[in-house]
Amino acid sequence: MTGPVQVLVVGFDRPTFSGEVLAEFTRLREAGIVRLVDLLVVSRTDDGAFETLGLPEGVEADFGDLAASVLGQPEEPAEVEVEAADIDSAETWSLADAIPVGSTAAVALIEHTWAAGLSAAIQRAGGTLLEETWLASEDRELLEALIAERQT
Amino acid sequence: MLLVPRQLQRVGMTGAVPYYGGRFTPAQAYGASHPTAPPPSFADPMTGGAFVRAPVPSQSVASDAPVPSQADTEAALQQLLNTGVISQVEYQELRARVAQ
Repeated sequence: MTGPVQVLVVGFDRPTFSGEVLAEFTRLREAGIVRLVDLLVVSRTDDGAFETLGLPEGVEADFGDLAASVLGQPEEPAEVEVEAADIDSAETWSLADAIPVGSTAAVALIEHTWAAGLSAAIQRAGGTLLEETWLASEDRELLEALIAERQT
Repeated sequence: MLLVPRQLQRVGMTGAVPYYGGRFTPAQAYGASHPTAPPPSFADPMTGGAFVRAPVPSQSVASDAPVPSQADTEAALQQLLNTGVISQVEYQELRARVAQ
C-alpha cells in the first residue's frame, strides 16, 4: 500500500450495476492513477442494522471482506472498555453517520496511487492539513471560466 | 452478514487529522467537558451500533467536585483567550454568563 486510501460511500435507490464503474476503475488502475482495493455493498434496514449484500457480476469473488473488516465488525461485539480520550482525541465517523436508515450503499476503498509521492512530500515539508474538500459544480464552472478567460 | 460499523478516525490525504486552528471540534469540546463519562454504548438501535455518547448528566446530579469560584472561572477564560482557544467575542460572551 503506497498511496492514501479514500473511503467512498455512494447511495443507491435501487442498486443496478452495468459494469461501467468497474470498467473505469480498471482503466484508472492500468493508468497508475487509483486502485480499487475493495468494494462492499450494504443495506441498512429500517431498524438501523447493517447487512452486507452480494456483489455485482464482474467483481472479484473475494471482494468485500477487507472493507467489512476495516469499516465494521461482522458480529455484535462484546462490551469493550474504550478510553474516552481515545474517542475524543480526534474527529471520528462511521458508516452509520453516512448511510441513512432504509437505504443501500456501495462502499469502496480506493487507493490513490498518484498521491503517494505528493502526500509524502507534504509531510516532509511539515505541512499541516487545514481543510480538504472538493469544489461544487458551480465553483468548478467559475474556475473553468476564469481559466478560459486567462487563456484568451 | 450483519455488520456493526466501527468508529474510524477521520483524516485527510496526508494522513493527518485536520487542524482546527487550535479550536476544539464539537466532539472534542464535549469530551473535554465530560472526562469521566462512561464508555459509549455499542448497540444503540438508532445508529445501528455506532458509538453513542452517554447522555449528558442532568444538572440535578450531585457531584463531589468542588465548584470553582468566579475568579477561577474568569482566570480560566482568560487563559483560553490568551492561548487562542476562544475569540474575544466568545470570551466576552462567556464572561458575561459567568457574572450572571
